Amino acid sequence: MIAAVRSELTRLRQPRLLATWFGLMTLFAVMINTVMITFSTGGGSVPPGAPGVAFPTLAELESPSGLMSGLAAASSMFGVVTLSIWAVVTASDYGSGLIRLLVAAEPRRWRLLAGKIVALVILTAAATTVAAIVNVLAAFPLAGAAGISTAAWGTDLVSVVAGAWVNLFLALCVWGVLGLVIATLARSAAVAIAIGVGYVLVVESIIKMLKDVPSDWLLGTILNAVAAGGTAAVAYGTALAVGFGYVTLGLVLAGAVFIRRDVTD
Amino acid sequence: MSVVTTTNLTRRFGPITALDRLTVELPAAGVIGLVGPNGSGKSTLIRILLGLIRPTSGNASVLGSAISSPAHYAARVGVLVESPAFIPGLSARANLVSLARLRHLPLGRVDAVLAQVGLVGRDREPVKRFSLGMKQRLGIAAALLSDPELLILDEPTNGLDPAGIVEIRELLRDLGREGRTVIVSSHQLSEIEAVCDHLVVIRFGKLVFSGPMAEMMKRTREHIDIAAEHAADMERLEVALVAGGWAVTAVDDVLRVAAAADRAAELNRAAAGAGVTLSRLVFAQDNLEEIFLEMTGRVDGELANGRAAVEEKVA
Repeated sequence: MIAAVRSELTRLRQPRLLATWFGLMTLFAVMINTVMITFSTGGGSVPPGAPGVAFPTLAELESPSGLMSGLAAASSMFGVVTLSIWAVVTASDYGSGLIRLLVAAEPRRWRLLAGKIVALVILTAAATTVAAIVNVLAAFPLAGAAGISTAAWGTDLVSVVAGAWVNLFLALCVWGVLGLVIATLARSAAVAIAIGVGYVLVVESIIKMLKDVPSDWLLGTILNAVAAGGTAAVAYGTALAVGFGYVTLGLVLAGAVFIRRDVTD
Repeated sequence: MSVVTTTNLTRRFGPITALDRLTVELPAAGVIGLVGPNGSGKSTLIRILLGLIRPTSGNASVLGSAISSPAHYAARVGVLVESPAFIPGLSARANLVSLARLRHLPLGRVDAVLAQVGLVGRDREPVKRFSLGMKQRLGIAAALLSDPELLILDEPTNGLDPAGIVEIRELLRDLGREGRTVIVSSHQLSEIEAVCDHLVVIRFGKLVFSGPMAEMMKRTREHIDIAAEHAADMERLEVALVAGGWAVTAVDDVLRVAAAADRAAELNRAAAGAGVTLSRLVFAQDNLEEIFLEMTGRVDGELANGRAAVEEKVA
């Protein structure tokens, strides 16, 4: 399987793909810190928020974990980017016909799928690191300019940064797997992105509006809870367990289809 | 010894039977041509042999291993299936490196195959800048990467200029002479005729012919194409020749007479006897294309398949 991972990593080393991925992570990290700090200092009222976006209060922002709160607040945006990249990488094998060459070279298809997942997880770790670094670099000057106290940000700096990184990384892996699963089933990046993003950001928002329907199990809610290290609605452990369940289910489905399906592309 | 054996191999796609109880043995070593009209089942056969799709019924083996376990022979087989497929944003070298890594091959093989197909010097350019011919060369390089015993190439000269076609033809011949088996699927029958030692003809998923190319070419017929000096005399000439016992067919602007070259003088005298002066008298022999059309019919296979499916549905 190591051969499949190395092979996939070589294919993923596309300058435009990596620039798009890391560029969007950078953009959203700067953007969310700007918006978050602006709202937090603009009278203290927390906006109702776009689907999947949750802003911290001023007190939360000034706490030791406030430095990294941008990552959790923008986790859905980072997630959409990650889902899209995983979906594009997966579906392009079908669109380009490369899948023929790959399956002919490595007929043990589970190795190809596992190799792709591991390679994408490695790059997701890199993308998470980019977002974390940019978040730290952006948060200090933006907070200083807005008059937010950053005195507590140095407390437990390593554990705060590492914790935020791990939480975002885990959430992004689930987002990515969602993109990979739908792209494997649909063999189309556009369809996968539309379904994935549409479901998490639109369908789930509608479900949440319905009374008497518990929303703790919804994927978007779970992923926000993972990224934030747990929320009032969903405990961290529960979020991790349910997220793991979603990933397992998705991978079993994608694996079964990928291994059994005819390669006619 | 056979490199590929199929027994009653059948594959259906809904109402379409792409392969219909195909039983064939392909000999080891040499270049084997796999030909048939569009939709005849060539690509389906190749995909089944590579483990890309599964047969509906029947058995097959490649290099002695059953197709149910393609991992047993994948390392010994190189492929170019349909159009060459690569990541356009990556260089030719990076694309080959990714395949070499997947196959556990030393990266030195990448340089070797780049040299073999004449892509040295262009290998660091992104594939998206490549012409179709260069992509085709890269596809062949990818197929050669594992130094395979069996090469399966689908339309290997597609998109190449005449010089490139000759070059690839030489390469295929050399590979065959080295003791490898090269299966070439192509519509370019002149190429097949020029390079293949063995021929397999499929039509509607069924085997029409499998044997040495020389045996196929024994089916060629000699003929003499003639034309009258004045077009108005053509009909009179045809009537006179048929009356004289000659087998005559009108083809375009000539009359094709089934006769060997040594009967040219006799034919000329017959025309003169009918009062017709010939402006053209050319000896010719059927080529593979003519024999192929004779065997497979002059109808596009995919259209015929579609019609058959509709008729079956209506019935």
